[in-house]
Amino acid sequence: MATMKEKRSCGQRCEDFGRFVWNSDEGKFMGRTPEKWVYISLYYVAFYVVIAGLFSLAIWTLMYTLDPYAPDYQDRLNSPGVMVWPNTYGEEIVEINYNTSDKASWMKMTNILNEFLEPYNDTKQLECNKYNCTKGKYFIQDTFSAPHHTKWACPFMQSMLGACSGFDDPTFGYNCSMPCVVIKMNRIINFLPTNNTDHVPYVNCTVLEGQNNVDKIEYFPECAAMDLSYFPYYGKLAQPTYVNPLVAVRFRLVGEKQAKIQCRVVSKKISYENFYDPYEGKVIFQLKAVK
Amino acid sequence: MTKKDTYDMFEMDGDMDKKKKKKKMNKKEKLEGMKKEMDIDDHEITIEELELRYNTSVTKGLTSTFAAQVLERDGPNELKPPKGTPEYVKFARQLAGGLQCLMWVAACICFIAFGIELARGNVTSFDNLYLAITLIAVVVVTGCFGYYQEFKSTNIIASFKNLVPQQAIVIRDGQKNQINACQLVVGDLVEIKGGDGVPADIRIITSQACKVDNSSLTGESEPQSRNPECTHENPLETKNIAFFSTTCMEGVATGMIISTGDRTIIGRIATLASGVGNEKTPIAIEIEHFVDIIAGLAIFFGFTFFVVAMFIGYAFLEAMIFFMAIVVAYVPEGLLATVTVCLSLTAKRLARKNCVVKNLEAVETLGSTSVICSDKTGTLTQNRMTVAHLWFDNHIHAADTTEDQSGQSFDQSSETWRSLARVATLCNRATFRPDQEGVPIPKRLVVGDASETALLKFTELTVGNIMDYRNRFKKAVEVPFNSTNKFQVSIHELEDPLDLRYLLVMKGAPERILERCSTILIKGQELPLDEQWSEAFQTAYMDLGGLGERVLGFCHLYLNEKEFPRGSQFDPDEMNFPTSGLCFAGLISMIDPPRATVPDAVMKCRTAGIRVVMVTGDHPITARAIAANVGIISEGSETVEDIAERKRIPVEQVNKRDARACVISGGQLKDMSSDELDDALRNHPEMVFARTSPQQKLIIVESCQRLGSIVAVTGDGVNDSPALKKADIGIAMGIAGSDAAKNAADMILLDDNFASIVTGVEQGRLIFDNLKKSIAYTLTKNIPELTPYLIYITCSVPLPLGCITILFIELATDIYPSVSLAYEKAESDIMHLKPRNPRIHRLVNEALAVYSYFQIGAIQSFAGFTDYFAAMAQEGWYPLYCIGLRSQWEDVHLQDLQDSYGQEWTFSQRLYQQYTCYTVFFVSIEICQISDVLIRKTRRLSVFQQGLFRNKVLVSAIVFQLLLGNLLCYCPGMPNIFNFMPIRVQWWFIPVPYGILIFVYDEIRKLGVRRYPGSWWDQELYY
Repeated sequence: MATMKEKRSCGQRCEDFGRFVWNSDEGKFMGRTPEKWVYISLYYVAFYVVIAGLFSLAIWTLMYTLDPYAPDYQDRLNSPGVMVWPNTYGEEIVEINYNTSDKASWMKMTNILNEFLEPYNDTKQLECNKYNCTKGKYFIQDTFSAPHHTKWACPFMQSMLGACSGFDDPTFGYNCSMPCVVIKMNRIINFLPTNNTDHVPYVNCTVLEGQNNVDKIEYFPECAAMDLSYFPYYGKLAQPTYVNPLVAVRFRLVGEKQAKIQCRVVSKKISYENFYDPYEGKVIFQLKAVK
Repeated sequence: MTKKDTYDMFEMDGDMDKKKKKKKMNKKEKLEGMKKEMDIDDHEITIEELELRYNTSVTKGLTSTFAAQVLERDGPNELKPPKGTPEYVKFARQLAGGLQCLMWVAACICFIAFGIELARGNVTSFDNLYLAITLIAVVVVTGCFGYYQEFKSTNIIASFKNLVPQQAIVIRDGQKNQINACQLVVGDLVEIKGGDGVPADIRIITSQACKVDNSSLTGESEPQSRNPECTHENPLETKNIAFFSTTCMEGVATGMIISTGDRTIIGRIATLASGVGNEKTPIAIEIEHFVDIIAGLAIFFGFTFFVVAMFIGYAFLEAMIFFMAIVVAYVPEGLLATVTVCLSLTAKRLARKNCVVKNLEAVETLGSTSVICSDKTGTLTQNRMTVAHLWFDNHIHAADTTEDQSGQSFDQSSETWRSLARVATLCNRATFRPDQEGVPIPKRLVVGDASETALLKFTELTVGNIMDYRNRFKKAVEVPFNSTNKFQVSIHELEDPLDLRYLLVMKGAPERILERCSTILIKGQELPLDEQWSEAFQTAYMDLGGLGERVLGFCHLYLNEKEFPRGSQFDPDEMNFPTSGLCFAGLISMIDPPRATVPDAVMKCRTAGIRVVMVTGDHPITARAIAANVGIISEGSETVEDIAERKRIPVEQVNKRDARACVISGGQLKDMSSDELDDALRNHPEMVFARTSPQQKLIIVESCQRLGSIVAVTGDGVNDSPALKKADIGIAMGIAGSDAAKNAADMILLDDNFASIVTGVEQGRLIFDNLKKSIAYTLTKNIPELTPYLIYITCSVPLPLGCITILFIELATDIYPSVSLAYEKAESDIMHLKPRNPRIHRLVNEALAVYSYFQIGAIQSFAGFTDYFAAMAQEGWYPLYCIGLRSQWEDVHLQDLQDSYGQEWTFSQRLYQQYTCYTVFFVSIEICQISDVLIRKTRRLSVFQQGLFRNKVLVSAIVFQLLLGNLLCYCPGMPNIFNFMPIRVQWWFIPVPYGILIFVYDEIRKLGVRRYPGSWWDQELYY
C-alpha cells in the first residue's frame, strides 16, 4: 500500500496513461484488445439501435395520437398576450422613440408598421378571405365548409385602420407628433373573449406617466373594438389564412412629447393583472417624439 | 502448504518505486533516526558516577536551589500534550477531500462563467451563480457534518482523561517532601511504594520487594521486580530502572530520576507517535481515483461539445460557457452528501457495537484490511493472571480460564486436590478488598501480587469463602517470598480442635519445592518421592512451562505434635521448623488467558482471508502459547525450530518455506534487514513477534504495508501508539487503553473486545459494497441531467431541464434513496471472501461508470426526452418544430411566437412551458431512478432473490421520493420559486415503460453474469 499512497509525479502519470492507451505486452489499446473493442462496439451499436427504435416508436405513437387541428392542452394560454407595433425595445419595455427631424429615425418606425401590415393589404385580404362575415357575432363553424377542407376566416383589411392605415399618411404620423401604433392580441385556438355577444372586446389606452403630454387618443376602427366575428380561431390547419384583428391608436403628443402608455384589451375573459406576464391582456410602452 | 496462497499479498511492481526512493530518502533518514533504540547508560554506571553526573547525593538528594535551576533548564516533568491539530485545520481538512476539491473547482468554473456573462452584459439567468453557491454550501454543510462526527467521537475519548495531578515523595536537602510530580527534575531522589505511579524514569537505588506493572510499556502482564542490580544492557530490560507512567504494584523503593518529561522512555514513544505520518485511508484513495475518472470524463465531454459548438457556429465565448456548463453538470453534487451519510450510518451502527470511529473514512478501512497486527496483552488476553492448569495425581488438569466461568471444571474429587487447595489457600497473603460482595469473583479487586491474586480467585471459585477458611486455620507464622529462597512458608493450626498438630504449607519455584520434598501425595496417599515420580514431575513442569505458563509448586507437612506442641514459638528469621522432607502436593500454573471470544474471532478473520499477526512485548514462549491458544498459530503448524527438532536436523538445513508458523523475537528482529523481514512475512503465514519494542512494531507494520497489505493494528499501551498511527487503521482499547493509544488510533473498541473487530470488518466490507451501489445509483442520473443540455446546444431545442431542477434531483429527492442503499444486506457471505485487492477491486471501476452512464443513464435520457416531447407536443409544440427553435423561444422581446397550431405565445407563457418541460424531465428521472434504486439493490443476484421489499428503508425512501416529487410539482407558488409546474398526471406515466425496461434489462444482465461467470458478458457488464 505504501507505494500506492505516494503522490505520483506527472511523468509517471503520463507514463501510466501511455501504457493505458497502448499496452504492447497484452496488445491492449485503451484497456481492450482490438477484438474486444469490436465486440463492445457492436454491443453498443445494437443497444442504441434498440433504444432509439423504442424512442422513435414512442414519438410516433405520440404524434399519432395528436389532433392536427387543436392541441390537447392549452395550460399556458389561459389569456392571450397583447403586443404593440412598432415593437422596438429599450432596456426593458417597448420604447417607441423617434426624431421627427431625422428621417432615418422615423422611417424605421414606418417601415416596421408597413412590414407588419403587409398581410393585411386590402387586395390580399379580399383575395384569400372571400367571406362576408356577420359583424358582432362569434363566427362559429362546426364544419369544414371552405375550400380544401378548411374553415373560413374573416378578412381584416388595412383600410379598416382609417387614419392609421397608411393610405392617407404613409408615415403613420411619425413625421409629426401624432404617431400611430398598432395593437395586436395573440390568437388562441377556440378562445372566446366574452361569454355573451353583448360586450365586444375593445382596446383602451391609458397614460401612465406624462398625462399632460398626451392631448388626444384616437382609436381605429371606431370604438376600438375587435369584432367578435374574428373569434374563435380554429388553428393553422383549419384557418390557414386567418389574420388577427387589429386596433390602431393615434396619440397627439404635446409638451415634452413623451409618455408611458398602457393599452389593454378590455374583455371579461382577458386578464391583465398577471404579475409574472406583463404582456398578458395588456402592453405597456414608452412613446417619445423628439424634434 | 496448500493454504499458503491464501495469504499471498498484493505485490507491487518492483521497478515502480525505484525513482521515488531517492526523493523519499531524506524524509526516511529522519524517521530512521527516531526509530533507533534508546541509548542511555544511566543504568550501567555506578551510583557514584551517577551522583557525579547529576550533581546529587543518594542520601540528601538535590539542593532545592539546584533543583529549581534544573527545573528552569529542563522544564516541568510532564508529557507535552500531543500537538493537537488546531480545530480550524480539522475543519479545513473536512473541506479538502477528493470530492470536495472537485466541487470547489466546479464552483470556481461557475463563478467564471457567471463573470463572463456579467461582463458581456446579458445576465438573463442567475443559474450559474446559484449553482456556485449551492456547490459551496454542499461542501460546507457536509464538512460541518463530518467535523461534528469527529468532534463527537473525540469527546468520547477525551472523557477518559484523568485530570488529578500526581503527587510524589521527594528528598531534597535531606528532607522528605511531597510535591507535584511535574516539579521533579533530573537527579531528584524519590520514594515510591505500592500503588504509586512512577513519577519519572528512575534508577533504583534501594528496593524492598518492589514490583512494577510494565504492561502498558512492554506488554508484559506480570509485574516486574525492580532492584538496584543492572541486569541487562538494554534499558527496557534491565531491572534497575522504573519507567515513567508505570505503576508500582508492591514494595517500596527509592531511586534517582534520570530523565523527566518528554525525555523519558514514554515521552520518546509519544514523540515517535506524533512523528509518524497518518496514512490516507483506502476509501480516500478510492474516491480520488473516482474523481480522476469523473474529471477525465467531464473534460472529455466538455471539450467534445466545445468543438461541436464551435463547428455549429457559436461564438467562442459562448462555446466556452457551454464547455464550463458541461463540466459542472458532470459533477455529482449529491455524491458527497451520500458518501458522508452512508459512512456515518455505518459509524453509528458500529458505535452501537462498541466500536467508536474517530474518522468517518476509517469505517471502510477495516473492510479492506488484509493483515491485523494485534497486541497480546489486554487485547487478545484478559490482562490478569489466572490459574490455567494444575498437576496432581500425575495428571495435568485444566482450570476454567474464561472470564465468566462458563468453561468446564476439572475433577475435584481427589483427596490430593483437597490438600493442594488447602496449601494454595493458606500459603497466600492476598486478600479481597472489602465490600465487594456483589461483584463477580474474577472482577473483584485484590490486594496482593498477580500470582497470589490468581490463586486467591481460583480458590475462592473452587473452594469458596476463603477468608473464613483462612480464619479456621489460624496462622502461627509466615515467611514471605524472597528471591534467595524462592519460596513462601506459613504454619497454621488445624481446623479440627482435637488435632493439635501444626500444618506447614509451602509454595514456590517448583524445582526448589521438589528439592525439599521426600514424599508425594498421589490420590491422597503419601508415597515416597522416587526417581519415577521425579521424572513425572519434570515432564509436567516442562509441559506447563512450554505453554508459557508460570508454574508454582506446592507442598505441606504435618509437624510432629511432640516436637511442636501448641503454643510453640516459630521464628520466621531463624526458621526453627523443618523446611525439608516435606510432602509434595502438586503444581499450579498460571497464565494471562485469552479472552473467551478471541479464538472464534481469529477464526472468523481467517475465514475472511485476514491474516492475524501477533506483535507483543511479552516473552516468546508466552506469546507463542497464547498464539496457539487463540488460533493465530493453528493446530499442526510448525516453526522452523519445531521442524528441526522433529527431523533431528540443524535449524539451518530446514527449508523455511515448510514452516507455516514463525516466532521472531525483538532481538532477532534487530539483526534482520527489511528485506529479510519482508521475506519472513511472505513465507510464514502465521507470525508471532515477541519482545518487540515500539519502534520494531512500527517496522513490522511498515513491512506489511510494503507488501501491499492494508494493515490494522490493535493495541492498548503507550508502546503501541506509533504503530497505531502508522497503521491504515489503528484500533485502541477503550477500557484498558492508554490515552496515548486512544489518541493515535482511528477506532476505539469500547468493550476491549477483539471480536468487535470482526463486526467492524463485516460492516466495512458491507459499506464498501453498498457505497458502490450508492455511487452507481448517484452517477446514473448524471447522464439524463447532462443530455438535455447537449441536445439544447446541438439541436437548439428549448431547454428541457433547468439547473435548479438538477440541484433538486441531486440534493433533495435522490439523497434518501441513495443513502437507503447503505441499509442493503450483503449479497453473499462477505465474511467468506478474501479482502479486496486494492489494486483490482476499485470502488468505482470502468464497468460501473460505463454501465451507469452509457446504458442505464442513456435509457433514462430517452425516457426524459420522450416525456419532454410529449409535454411539448400536447401543449402545441411538435418535436420537429422544436428543433432549431431556441433563438426565437428564448427571445425576451418576441411576444407572439407561433406554435405548431398557429397559436401565439408571449415570452412568459413560453417560459412557463419551459418550466413544465423541466418538471416532466424531472419526473421522468425520478421514475427511472425508482427503477434504478431497485436494480442497484444487487450487483449479481436477482432482485427477487434479495427480496424486493426487504430493505424497509429503501421502500420508505421511494415513497419519500414520490411524495417530495409531488410536493415540488403541486405545491402552490413553486413555479415562480423553484421553476416546478403542476404537470398533468399522465406525464408521470410516460417514463414508466422505460423504468420497466431498465429493470428488465438489468435482470437480464444479472442473469448473464450469474450464468456465465468469467464470460465476455461478465467481464464487460459486471461492476
